[in-house]
Amino acid sequence: MSSFLLKRLLQGVVIMAAMSVIVFAGVYAIGNPLDVLIPPEATQDVRERTIARFGLDKSLVEQYFLFISNLLKGDLGLSYIYNEPVLSLIGNRLPATLELVLTAVLGATLIGVPLGIYAGYKPHGFAARAIMAISILGFSVPTFWVGLILILTFAVSLGWLPSGGRGETVEFLGIEWSVLTLNGWSHLVLPAINLALFKLAIMVRLARAGTREVMLSDTVKFARAAGLSEMTILSRHVLKLISIPIVTVFGLELASTLAFAVVTETIFSWPGVGKLIIDSIKNLDRPVMVAYLILTAGLFVTINLCVDIAYALLDPRLRRGRAE
Amino acid sequence: MKRHSKAFAFAVALSAVASTVSAADLTVGVRGGPESMDPHYSALGSQADAVKHIFDPLVWTGDDLQLEPGLAVSWKPVDEDTWEFKLREGVKFHDGSDFTAEDVKFSIERIPSVTGPTTTEIYVRRVSEVEIVDDYTLNIHTNGPAATLPYDFVRLFIVSAEAAKDYSTSETSAEGFNSGKAAIGTGPFKYVSWSPKGDLVLERFDDYWRGPAPWETVVRKEISDDASRLAALKAGDVDVINYVSSADYLALDSDPNIATFIGDSVYVMNLQLDQREETPKVRAKDGSALAENPLRDPRVREAIDLAIDRETMVEIVLEGLGKPANQMMPEGFFGYSDDIPTPEYDVDKAKALLADAGYPDGFQIDLYCTNDRLPGDGAICEGLGQMFAQIGIDTNVNAISKTVYFPTQARKEYSVFMNGWGTLTGEASYTLGSLAHSPNDEVKMGAFNRIEYKNDEVDRLLQAGAQELDADKRKALFEEAMEKTMADRAYISIVVLQSVWAGDKDKVVVTPRADEETLAYYIKPAK
Repeated sequence: MSSFLLKRLLQGVVIMAAMSVIVFAGVYAIGNPLDVLIPPEATQDVRERTIARFGLDKSLVEQYFLFISNLLKGDLGLSYIYNEPVLSLIGNRLPATLELVLTAVLGATLIGVPLGIYAGYKPHGFAARAIMAISILGFSVPTFWVGLILILTFAVSLGWLPSGGRGETVEFLGIEWSVLTLNGWSHLVLPAINLALFKLAIMVRLARAGTREVMLSDTVKFARAAGLSEMTILSRHVLKLISIPIVTVFGLELASTLAFAVVTETIFSWPGVGKLIIDSIKNLDRPVMVAYLILTAGLFVTINLCVDIAYALLDPRLRRGRAE
Repeated sequence: MKRHSKAFAFAVALSAVASTVSAADLTVGVRGGPESMDPHYSALGSQADAVKHIFDPLVWTGDDLQLEPGLAVSWKPVDEDTWEFKLREGVKFHDGSDFTAEDVKFSIERIPSVTGPTTTEIYVRRVSEVEIVDDYTLNIHTNGPAATLPYDFVRLFIVSAEAAKDYSTSETSAEGFNSGKAAIGTGPFKYVSWSPKGDLVLERFDDYWRGPAPWETVVRKEISDDASRLAALKAGDVDVINYVSSADYLALDSDPNIATFIGDSVYVMNLQLDQREETPKVRAKDGSALAENPLRDPRVREAIDLAIDRETMVEIVLEGLGKPANQMMPEGFFGYSDDIPTPEYDVDKAKALLADAGYPDGFQIDLYCTNDRLPGDGAICEGLGQMFAQIGIDTNVNAISKTVYFPTQARKEYSVFMNGWGTLTGEASYTLGSLAHSPNDEVKMGAFNRIEYKNDEVDRLLQAGAQELDADKRKALFEEAMEKTMADRAYISIVVLQSVWAGDKDKVVVTPRADEETLAYYIKPAK
């Protein structure tokens, strides 16, 4: 187990180092941010002073090593657009994204997996067919469209819920959370549903496919022969056997949603990191783009590591190192 | 299911409570918010729009960008390189202190040390020294004659020298201003709270020198998505929104609860034709290289101009939200010429001119434009492509993000390209000096002339205009420069854009401003 973990950790470090080079070179290749940022009346001398002030006259290699040495000191630089430390800019908005994404992904899993197991358990029933038909919608309808329809229905026509924003927040552990207030929830419901639909569909389909396969296995036959109730079989044995692919997808979806909930956040004006990154790309706010992409790489590496640990806990063969 | 509907009902009840706000509160949904509460950090339009609620500029501009007295009540040149500014007496800062010449001097001098990449140094680039004559008189010395100095000061915001003195380095300014400690201005509203991309909350300043604002509390919400901003208005979450898209504008016309307000913007869409000997994105129809750059031939440029059907562009592409343009500035701006003819649309004549120039079968070009900067920019680009095809110029249309467009344009990798240009100061030296003058570091002009257009006569007129302190003479010089530039057709102006606001019909009346600012002080309650 520990050698397995160590190996994964080392892999993570290599990935992070490679990512930092790719991100930095890629962002550099787009062009000089000042061509987008500097106002038209800027004369040549003003322009040169500004370029020098932001260190943009240095070579790519110099800029990269400057960035890395600052990074190792824990300093990710100041945003060109907001003149605030990138880390606090991202940090202040992360809780908003975190609560939205966790609500959506957890909700999708807690609802989707039982529905999927049921659909796999009684694949020919009416309910199972209905579940599968609806899950196709979750896959095929684009997120931005669903978001707009949700706003039009619940905010504009019915007027039940607000059209966007985050609502009231309460401080807990030094961070502002809106899941702790009812007004916060009224703002959270629509974007969370919007974000969860696609994931719900995936979870339903994964759980159904897994269940159908496992129901035919010897484990289930023996369990039935031993006289266990169907409920016990489903919740104790089937759920455990189908959980590996579900955990994998859960991890991947969690990471990608945390990093790229951009569409939903934009439509619902949710003050999360997704909106920050898309605007920083539009404005070529290089420090924010680079820091965010590198933090995202770190997030993926960490979540995948957690997923690997979860495998080991779920599958004893992996724990004893026999699976390799 | 039952639990669900309960939760919904509860949420409904809550949101109903939350949205009961007093009639004296105004909530505005804006496309872009400020970047910092330090008014000197950025020269971006959305920044000026927001901070103008808290800080006054030295010189005020009216709805059509005409100069008006603001914190400065009058100004005049006293010699070749000195301007005298008289300041308004009796103006109070939000902390109750008096506004004096010291604050102006402090504001001008702190700019170089706090500005960001969208540099506000442009507002004070002409200033060499600020001399305080008395509490309400300043002599501003310039490096050489600076005829347009008052125009530079329309976005020179005045901060309190006392409140901002400890927050005037690039490390401390964000902290001091964003926390509100230094965000003390003379404007109609006091700062309450803001964070990047978050809501800007403002409170009425009762001692404002123009009289108190009609709104007690103003909240400016940043909602960048056009459809979401409109939905927020329809749902009643905001009272006013800016930048309604042309498609939504048509739909809103039939909504009985919503009023729309249309104003001319400062933006003109200009097609730009590369004048270098060798140009990268023009070739023969079979893809082979041409002997010379056809865009240098005046007959070819005229043919391109004749191929553009501006009326159709306005009616069909922009849904009527624009006007055909014949020069690089909207009507009425300082230096706008009435003598420039209305462009014709004549396909046959265009074809004949092309044949005359030695291209009877036309040629092939790559056309580049922005598609995410101004309303309709991408659609105009596609329209142009079709119109050029009609006279035999095969056009590959590339409507791309401004993030890619501007850096590439700066590297001069395009041959035929179009983007909007806003005459933000309301006068011609801003536009012609940057675009029409040949690139020249010495006289600091032509910085955005990416087609290397050079007409010695235009250069001469613009240099003379920059030095001429007599307003009438300067106006004549700029008008002539504009006429000569447009006659050369290296820049072909297509349309003047219009901007649309929408608001709750029973609550607000918006007066459009040419600089597209949405100022709460000037949004009147509906009767």
